[in-house]
Parts: sequence; C-alpha cells; structure tokens
Amino acid sequence: MKAVLEYWPALYQGLLTTIWVAMCSITGAAVGSLILGPLRMSSSRGVRLFALFIIEFIRGASALVALFWVFYSLPSMPHMPRLSPMVASILVLSLIGASYGAEIVRGGILAIPRGQLDASHALGLGKFRTLTKVVLPQALSQIVPSFAGLAADMVKWTSIVSFVGVRDLVYVGDSIRTATYETVSVYVVLGAIYWALCFICELIFQCVEHFLPLNKALRVTKCRSQPVPRAQMQTEGVKP
Amino acid sequence: MEASYHSTVAAAKIQAPSAIEFRNVTMAYGTHTVLKDLDLAVQPGEKVTLIGPSGSGKTTVLRLAMTLEKPTGGDIRLFGESMLYGQDGQRLPARDEARMRRRCGMVFQQYNLFPHLTVLDNLILAPSTMRGEAKDKAAHRAMEYLRMVGLEEKKDSYPSQLSGGQQQRIAIARALVLRPEILLLDEITSALDPELAGEVLDVVRDVARETNVTLLIVTHEMRFAREVSDRIVVFEAGRIIEQGTSEKIFTNPSSDRTRAFLQSVLNH
Amino acid sequence: MTWDWNFVFQILPDLLVGVWYTILITIGSAAIALIGGLLLAIFENVSTRAGRLVVRFFLGLFKGVPILVLLYFGYYLLPQFGLTLPAMAIGIAVLGLVYAAFCSEVYRGGLITIPAGLRDASVALGLSPYVMWRRVYVPLMIQRASPALINYVLTLFRQTSFLFAIGVPVLIGKAQVAGYQSFRYLEPFTVAGALYLALNIPFLFLLSRFKTKYA
Repeated sequence: MKAVLEYWPALYQGLLTTIWVAMCSITGAAVGSLILGPLRMSSSRGVRLFALFIIEFIRGASALVALFWVFYSLPSMPHMPRLSPMVASILVLSLIGASYGAEIVRGGILAIPRGQLDASHALGLGKFRTLTKVVLPQALSQIVPSFAGLAADMVKWTSIVSFVGVRDLVYVGDSIRTATYETVSVYVVLGAIYWALCFICELIFQCVEHFLPLNKALRVTKCRSQPVPRAQMQTEGVKP
Repeated sequence: MEASYHSTVAAAKIQAPSAIEFRNVTMAYGTHTVLKDLDLAVQPGEKVTLIGPSGSGKTTVLRLAMTLEKPTGGDIRLFGESMLYGQDGQRLPARDEARMRRRCGMVFQQYNLFPHLTVLDNLILAPSTMRGEAKDKAAHRAMEYLRMVGLEEKKDSYPSQLSGGQQQRIAIARALVLRPEILLLDEITSALDPELAGEVLDVVRDVARETNVTLLIVTHEMRFAREVSDRIVVFEAGRIIEQGTSEKIFTNPSSDRTRAFLQSVLNH
Repeated sequence: MTWDWNFVFQILPDLLVGVWYTILITIGSAAIALIGGLLLAIFENVSTRAGRLVVRFFLGLFKGVPILVLLYFGYYLLPQFGLTLPAMAIGIAVLGLVYAAFCSEVYRGGLITIPAGLRDASVALGLSPYVMWRRVYVPLMIQRASPALINYVLTLFRQTSFLFAIGVPVLIGKAQVAGYQSFRYLEPFTVAGALYLALNIPFLFLLSRFKTKYA
C-alpha cells in the first residue's frame, strides 16, 4: 500500500481528469436531456418518433462500442474530423447520458397532474410557456433525484475513457500496478476513490434538490389543512 | 311558459349574437357518447347553471367551451364567430383559436393552482407572459382582485399554505385577472369541505352581482344555483331535458325526470 | 477510406464468434443477477439489523465502484490466492454480482408496493412463511419488477463489452483485434456496432410487450 501511495501525484492528476470528464459529460447530458425529453412529448408524431429513434439508437450500443466507433471509425469516413481522446469521450458520454436522461425528463413531465395543463390552457399560456414556467419547475422535483442516480452512473462510465488514451484514474491505476505489482492496493484505492466520487455526486444533487421551486414552496408550509398529495410524491423523488 | 321563454331568447338573438352558442354539438369518446346534438345558447351577461346527474355531460360542455376538448360533431360559436371553423370552412388556425380562447376563463374543481409559485405569481403569470403586460402593472391589478376575494394578505403565500376554500378563491381571482367575458365554473365547491364552500360561493355571488361577466356554472349546490342563476338547464344522459328560470325549475318543473333528480339531490 | 465489403466478409466469422461469446456471457450473468437479486431482496427483508447492514454494504460496494475496476480487481487479485479462473468466469461473476445488486433494489421496490393486507390474509389462512414467500410474494415481486428487470438485463448485455479489458473475446474485443491487425478501423467497429444494435431488438420487443401487459 505504501508503494502505491507514493504515487499520489499521479493519482491526483488522474482524479482531476476523471472529475473533469465526469463534470463535462454530466452537464452535457443534462442539457441534452432537457432538449430530447420534451421532444419525446411533442404534439407532432414525426418529432416524437424521431426523438425516440435517436434515443434508442444512442443507447443501443454500449458506451464502449460508441466510444471506439467515434474515436477509431469516424475519422476513417470522408470529411469526418479526428477528435482528441478527451473530446471524443466527453461527446460520447454526454450523448449516452442525454438519451438515458431524456427518459427521466419524460417520466417527470408525465407525472404532472392533468389539471395543471388544463389551468395553463385556460389561462391562455402557450405550449412553450406552459413547459418552461409551469411543467418543468414542478417536474424537476421528480427529475433531479432520478438524474442524480444517472449522474453517479456516469461517474463510473468515465472509467472507459482510459481505453482511448485519456489519463484518468483507471489509466493511472494501471500504470501504477505495472510499476509496483501491488494489484490489490491499487484497485482498493481506486475503488474507494470512485465510491467517494459517487457519494459526493449524490450529495451535490441533493443540494440542488433543495433549491428547486416546488420543494421550496412545500418547505415553507408548516401545517396544511388540505394537503397536496401529488406534489408531495414529487418531492419524495420516486426513483425508477 | 317554455314557448314564451324561447321566443324571448330568439328575439334577443336577432339583436346581438349569443355570448356562446352550441349548435348540434356531439361529443363522443370512442363508443361512449357524452353529448348528443346539443343546442344551447347563452346570452352576454346571462348567468346560466347546468344541473343534472353525474355523467350527464355538464362538465363536458364547459370543457368544450374552454377548448380543452374538441367536439366530434357540430359547431360552437363565441359572440357569433365559430371556434372551430374559419371563414373558408376549414379548421380554424391555432392563432385565431387562441385569440378567441382569451375571452373565456375557467375555474376548476381541483383549483389547479401552480404549487411552485406564490399566490401573486400565480395571478400575474398569464398577463405578464402572454399579454405583454408589465409585471408591476399586472401585480397592481392582481391585488385588486385579491382584495375582491378577500385574500390580499396572502399574496406571498404558497398554495400549500392555504385552505381549500382560500385556494379556490385565489383560482377565481386568477381567472378574473384576465378580464374574461365568459367565466366557466366547473363544480368549484365539490372538492371542498362543506364549511369552506360558503366563502367561495359568496365570491361568486359578488361576481354575479357586481360584474356583467357571462357565467356558465356546473354545480350541485342547488340553493346557490337558484339564487345566482337567470336560467337553469337540466341535463340527463347528454341531452337537455328541461330549461327555464330558477323559479320555474325549482318550484314547478315540467319534466318528471327533473322532478326525480331534484328530489334525490335536495334530500341530503 | 472507403467501405470494403470484402474485408467485412473476411472478418465476419470472427465477429460472429464474438457475438456468440457475448450472448453466452449475457445469459450467464443475467441468471446470476436475476436469481441472486431475488435472494438478496428476500434475505434483506427477513434478516436482522446486522444482516441488513451487510446487504447495504454489499450493495454500496457494487453500485459505487465502476465495473471496469471490479473486473481488473477480480482478474489480478484471485491468482494471488491461488485461484486461477478463466477470464470469462470472472467476467460473468463480476457482471452477475453487480447486476444482482441493482436487481435486488428493483425486487425490493416490487416488495414494498405489495399491500400489507396480503400478509394479513396469509397469516389468517395459516400459511407458513415459506409458502407465503413462494406462492404469494415472490410471484408478485417478479411480476411488478419485470419491466425494470428486463431493462437491467438489456443494460447488462450492453456492458458485456467491458469484458474485453480482461481479454474475453466479446464482440467488441474481436472487432478491435481485427482492426488492429489490419489497420482498418472503419468496418470492424461499424459492423460490431450494427450487430450490437440489432441484438437490442429482441429485448426492446419484450419490454414493449411487458409494458402493455403490466403497466
């Protein structure tokens, strides 16, 4: 174990790389989900099917297959760019995260009671305004907890980027292993670090949950004479 | 008495278009027909209450008026203009539909307030985003309506902090802020504990008395219906079985089925 | 570089061997995951506080650590204890254990939604715990958990590609070998990708059938 810990500068670099890749991918996935999710619920059948097709297509191959294809095969095609390992990794992970996230967003939107849509319609709010000012602020209370689980998974997915040459924790861990032959220690340390990263990720999302508009509104309530059951279910974050 | 009533209505029709008119409207969900060949005209400023057993189609009439649903047959006209078909006979474009929809407001049984917004924000959301009203001007007007329903001190509260009766009064204020010409009230006290219903009905009485908003009400509160309405329309199984002034319907209904329904409802 | 169909036909047999391995591994791991997850959920429900803590630790371990790290751990660690298992066995074991953890959560979710009244009824009918579990709870748990379970098996199938890191000849591994040997990367990965996508279809079909049946 001592020999491994002597390599802590390298581990630190690897950790920073892993954190960077994770943060970029999770952000990309969040943005992508918020675009793809509502597209899946569009009133136009063509748009709905198109979004469904893209989502299933991206999810279909595993992250590894997609990464290899983007990194190795894509440049072989005419006029296609050769992406750096880092860019290719973040792009692929964001897209896959977005396709899983889109389903989470869709689930959250579907959970909004029909009455909210009726009221928005009766008040004359257009589709876009209804989505951004009425539906999403409430849907986020269910979306964010589920997305937290996805984000923790994405932290683990970053391990594959070592295969295209990104110097993340797994890459560094492997080099330390070949240098010191201390296999057990290396992978125990790696396991512990990843576990801690997932834990911190979940904590961050719990903080985000705290600031969501619906959760803020329900916290202000000290005693309710007529409870709002459905809204309560949303804050408790039903995990899929 | 029915005949003279109809001729009065017919005379009124010649002078000005009805506020809202259902012509031969049919509404079917799959094999289940909820409304059959409905003809109903409501005059501007009139207060009309729809009563009848559950499932007789009353709520559907309101939902059709609010364009929450589209009828499977027939036409609906708002102040003389069709809500479904354009001048050329084709389906009405969305923009015109939205323009006409603005003349109606609706209050729902489940209040449907936006739980993530304060009371004031609930009221100013529509005027400030859809009608381009400046936020402070909208807020100023919203406060007037909050005063009208007696809840101005709750402007920064969230819906979950209010009782059902208070929430429903806010919902009424929210609809009124948009100054609709027609207000649709769908069983607005049915979800409330009886002791809270009174405060909501008082607000509606005030609205009926002090404004000339056309009211189309669905309710089970018979005493209230009798007080507030100019006309009662009795529904059963998707058809109108009788209509007339509240005096007539409640004291001497012509139809046996109306009689039976009133008996069952008033004997609670 | 343009598409070379001849090359495709050259490497296709190798790729199909990879498909075969992928399917085998999926079936093996899925069996461990589905059955192990069920046992884990039942154990967690009937055990003492200590037992529940053990289960929670196990779950946290397999859900917090990337599969890749666990694979390497198993691959390099076990020989040090004298256990030289073939890479494929290690792969199946790791995937199976990780997904058993996920599946047990799904089963637990199914268990929680079973109304308490059923337990009362079982007690009133004099059913022994074993019979209650076997004939009442387990069938209901499986029924409620099915859509999510099929989803997990699908995810498991997609992650079998990770096994190439420890040398198991899964589809992606074969594709990489083909590419490496010939310096042509376009065809192997594209065909492999297409095969992976095609293999998704039976799962998606099953999922949609289940959704309409139990939704």
